[in-house]
Amino acid sequence: MKLRAIGILRFLQVSSSLIILGLLVEIVSLLWFHPLAFVLFAFVGASLMGLGILVYLASLVFAVSPPAENRG
Amino acid sequence: MAPTGILVALIVLTIALAAVFLMRPTITVGTTGKILAFAALCALPVLCIVTGMSAHMQRSEQTKFCISCHSMENYGKSLYVDNPNYIPAQHFQNHRVPPDMACYACHTDYTIYGPLKDKLKGITRIYLQYVSTPPNPIHISGGYSNLQCLHCHAGARSFEENPIHVAIMDSLKTNQMSCISSGCHDTVHNASEVDHLKMWRPAQ
Repeated sequence: MKLRAIGILRFLQVSSSLIILGLLVEIVSLLWFHPLAFVLFAFVGASLMGLGILVYLASLVFAVSPPAENRG
Repeated sequence: MAPTGILVALIVLTIALAAVFLMRPTITVGTTGKILAFAALCALPVLCIVTGMSAHMQRSEQTKFCISCHSMENYGKSLYVDNPNYIPAQHFQNHRVPPDMACYACHTDYTIYGPLKDKLKGITRIYLQYVSTPPNPIHISGGYSNLQCLHCHAGARSFEENPIHVAIMDSLKTNQMSCISSGCHDTVHNASEVDHLKMWRPAQ
């Protein structure tokens, strides 16, 4: 499936899911006082959030936009 | 509210806003929705990553964080040895370093990217602890630099006016002669011996 065929709404849902998951991991890492908590935050939480942000930014570029003739 | 509390509040706010776009993404049709989407799905998550990283970096400066690894337990105990010849114990017990940041004060790299380098080294040690096997005894790669001692002691009257220090000052400042392994201040952690030594018990 081409990226342009995916609607912006689907992009936003995927992006927000990834960000929420990443933020939940960040909360766990902050409440867990252990050297592995940093690994959990940096390699899991921050990666999920980073991916979510990239999906959001991709939605601005690749998501379906209205046809040119319908624009004012 | 503690900094971690503020950060958790920020995270909860971001989760709440992101949840709105998970359940009702159609609100991005309007201009306000688009601005809110930018805040919830880009600006606030970036802020959460940066502040989270900062919170983790600050936490890893704490003594209790360093000694939470099993292989560091004896190094933590060595701070309580009741013998003034033990350099780390003497510094810790007399508050010559902040007791809650004792490991960091003497082992960090006091350069602009020092904390970042320390964190990368720390990740290597986590790998050794949980995946590979930690070396026994633990050695600092490249040896202990005098610059870490001189960060505090350079310029101090008792250090600068000591006749032995004066005679070898250039060698100390250029790290040619080590403070801790040249026969002067050579009783350091001795982690393998701490279980047989008398310990100082601070008054509660």
